[in-house]
Amino acid sequence: MLFNKDRRLFLQTAAKLGLSAGALIIFEQACSNMVPTEEAVSLMPTSQPKLTPTLVPAQVIDSTSQTPVPYPTAGPTPMVGPTSQPEMAYPVNTPAVNKKVIDDPRVRMGHLLRRAGFGASKEEIDKHLSMGEAETISYLLDYDKSDDSEVESRIESLNLDLSDKLADLQRMAMLRMIYTNRPLQEKMVLFWHGLLTSGWKKVGKGPYMLQQDELFRSHAFGNYDDLLKAVARDSAMLIWLDSRVNKKNKPNENFARELMELFSMGVGTFTEEDVKESSRAFTGWSLKKKVFHFQENQHDFGVKTFLGNIGNYDGDDVVDIIMEQPVTSRFISRKLFEFFAYDNPEEEVIARLAKTFNDSGYSITALLKDILTSEEFYTQQAYRSKIKSPAELIAGTIRALGIESTVTYQVRKYMGPMGQELFNPFDVSGWPENEEWINSSTLLNRLNFVNAVAEGNRRHFDYDLVNMIDLKTVNETKDVIDYFVDILLDGEISEEEKGIYIAYLDGLLKGEDLQTGLTKDRLASLVYLVMSSPDYQLA
Amino acid sequence: MLISRRNFLKSTATLLPAFASLPMVFRRAVASSMLESSSYSSPYQNRTLIIIQMAGGNDGLNTVIPYTDSKYYDHRSYLAVSDEDVLDLNGELGLHPVLGKMKLLWDQGLLAVVQGVGYENQSYSHFESMHIWQTADNKGKLEEGWLGRYFESLKGMEDNIFQGLAVGKLMPYECSNLNAPIPVVSSIDKYRLEGSTQQRSEALLKLYSSSPLGAPYGVLLDNTIEAVYKSSEALQTADKNYQSDIQYPETSLSKSLKVLAEAIIGDLGVRVGHVKIGGFDTHSDQIVEQPDLLQEMSEAIYAFYEDLKAAGRDQDVLIMTWSEFGRRVKSNGSGGTDHGAAAPMFLIGSPVVGGIYGENPNLRNLDKDNLRFTTDFRSVYSTVLEEWLGAAPEAILGGQRFEHIPFLAKV
Repeated sequence: MLFNKDRRLFLQTAAKLGLSAGALIIFEQACSNMVPTEEAVSLMPTSQPKLTPTLVPAQVIDSTSQTPVPYPTAGPTPMVGPTSQPEMAYPVNTPAVNKKVIDDPRVRMGHLLRRAGFGASKEEIDKHLSMGEAETISYLLDYDKSDDSEVESRIESLNLDLSDKLADLQRMAMLRMIYTNRPLQEKMVLFWHGLLTSGWKKVGKGPYMLQQDELFRSHAFGNYDDLLKAVARDSAMLIWLDSRVNKKNKPNENFARELMELFSMGVGTFTEEDVKESSRAFTGWSLKKKVFHFQENQHDFGVKTFLGNIGNYDGDDVVDIIMEQPVTSRFISRKLFEFFAYDNPEEEVIARLAKTFNDSGYSITALLKDILTSEEFYTQQAYRSKIKSPAELIAGTIRALGIESTVTYQVRKYMGPMGQELFNPFDVSGWPENEEWINSSTLLNRLNFVNAVAEGNRRHFDYDLVNMIDLKTVNETKDVIDYFVDILLDGEISEEEKGIYIAYLDGLLKGEDLQTGLTKDRLASLVYLVMSSPDYQLA
Repeated sequence: MLISRRNFLKSTATLLPAFASLPMVFRRAVASSMLESSSYSSPYQNRTLIIIQMAGGNDGLNTVIPYTDSKYYDHRSYLAVSDEDVLDLNGELGLHPVLGKMKLLWDQGLLAVVQGVGYENQSYSHFESMHIWQTADNKGKLEEGWLGRYFESLKGMEDNIFQGLAVGKLMPYECSNLNAPIPVVSSIDKYRLEGSTQQRSEALLKLYSSSPLGAPYGVLLDNTIEAVYKSSEALQTADKNYQSDIQYPETSLSKSLKVLAEAIIGDLGVRVGHVKIGGFDTHSDQIVEQPDLLQEMSEAIYAFYEDLKAAGRDQDVLIMTWSEFGRRVKSNGSGGTDHGAAAPMFLIGSPVVGGIYGENPNLRNLDKDNLRFTTDFRSVYSTVLEEWLGAAPEAILGGQRFEHIPFLAKV
């Protein structure tokens, strides 16, 4: 996305400069007291050595001057936006710091289990640390070796109506994310639900959305051509993108277009003629008695010209031709890498993944394995580089704190306002990502959700906050902070942040000692603060 | 006082020359602070622009209907609206019969229709075309939303968190701006922080401003938490003081527009309000779906207008609708229409000079089954930016100059 490039350029540049907010404030105050001349600039605080060399202006322009017109009044190179800058002042992909590989096994494990699943409790992290990273990756990939009957019985015990109640479907999906022993499989189900999406508001009641969910679960790791062919026959998809009414002589283009644009090749890689021709290949792919039905008399058996090929194609042929396009392997490699690791991956990463994908006969498992064992996945560039989706935030919080929950309305009610009503995305493009998850309304609801968790109403979030921490192990405030920051933030916070937490808890304790002063309310307030923090919003 | 990066960027901006070597965000801040803007002086300061996004691609041909053209009936088969049912505008064009309230506005001279709006090399992708409308650029060069750039061009931006207000769940891309994220609210009722205490907020704000500037999303998160604190209380107050006898319909769009009415009447200083109505991607069953949406829109707009009028604020509010594209002239075999090109835009309100503007779509001269555009959408943007908001349109629209359309009354 274009917006990402802009933001990344800015953030990476800022990171390279090593700017902290503290430094910025000092700098701001200094500047506001100064006349902006060369001499004044040379007086800027020397305690920020990294700032000065880069920000010292080569030439000072009076800020009241009208001369430096910020935007050209005409001409082909407007100034707004990096793509219009032929020569970047700063390279986009550099800061060596970002390429740094994370060393700490505990941080690596926290990152792995968060990205390739929905996070983990302290006990789970410990368990996987003793298993080792390689074993853990195998555990995640060979998911069918793990018994998942416990989550099935949790779901069964609630007598959910998974055909006709959207809320029950959402409840089922959340329960799986929280309590599954196959976290990567559930993560892939969420991924496919976002990519090959359909939505309740058009598909409606019936077994459709549940069947699609099951399709994604059974095909979570399979070959991509098989998945696309199955999705083209999936009842919910047949309704969502109108294939069921795609008729000979007057085809409906909806599915064919999105198959290429959103599911496999990407915008701008095919022509309007390709849309029209491939929609003919899917004519007659209809729905009868709620399941896929090939309606022969509505299928166009004529010759089609599609992506430079000519033949009497049907829908499966169209998928096969799509899979042969070099853009397809790059498209799906990028989608998966960005979902698991970081945005805007380097060209060599995409090329490598695309090769892995093609060499393996379009295997999603092969792609996942490549990504999760790659060095890039464990770099600082990947670490906390994504915004948690609401599903990740909710499932991850409940998992991390070991909370018992049946995902009642009091839990689910935050999902919609956070922007992710499962099984009911905004439109055909599936779920938002990263910065799109954050605005004043969604952030406020994230904070309200973690407040509900911290308060810990037993009926909705059953856990024992007070006895979670063993008071015998804490000697000073810092130990309490460390305990919760370890569980919730991989123990990774800056000294400045740690200072804020310590001061906050000390303020609550009002001089009482830890053994008696750590009441439920105070602990709840601390946990609220950690989970409301900017770090916690990041995956 | 909240320490915000936005303030920081703003104040350093005026001091930092040689901006060619600065990172982009700084550079834009420099640029905006140097923009000579008169928008904070009268008569612009009380004005509000309301954007209604009709997402999915509204079928313009069945909205403003060329009911006297036999070609329309040839192309549309049973999707065509009968000439007996349309609400006639000028003996040539008529509104869809469900747009009764819009017709009332037309009769009072409060509705302008700009015909044939689009751009060169139409994209038939929802998301690419939306992006083009939202960035006001069909070359893919401009980033951030066109209204986001407008917000950044305003002086005194940091003093008023409500320069813009979006009602919905996500930030509309046209309003997106890293340095000035406008508040987004889905319902005032739920727009309050639970369990908030003085101690909690102080610590939280410190945490948000302490994350290193280079931390991913640090700026966005920091500016957004500031927007949360500043806007939730103000909206609660506006809500408490709001009184109105106007009955809004029980629809989603009506509820959204009502939030904007409360903010406008409560004098929160909203320059741009944004609402969205989705579902216009009518590949099938259009005969059922599109009229429902058009009716929802028409009735919501009317109630909103009446509300503002009763509060004496209708002169200050201009409404503009847009959709990423119109639909294919010929209907498909599933009772719907596929993605198309040019379509009409509506401009509504007391500041408007009612009438039909631009060239009607020519059904006899199609471009690959689609309507050719006759008005660049940025002509509408440019008119609204300069004549309604008092902004310099070239700076916001990528340095280009676009012809204005005389749909606004001269003040």
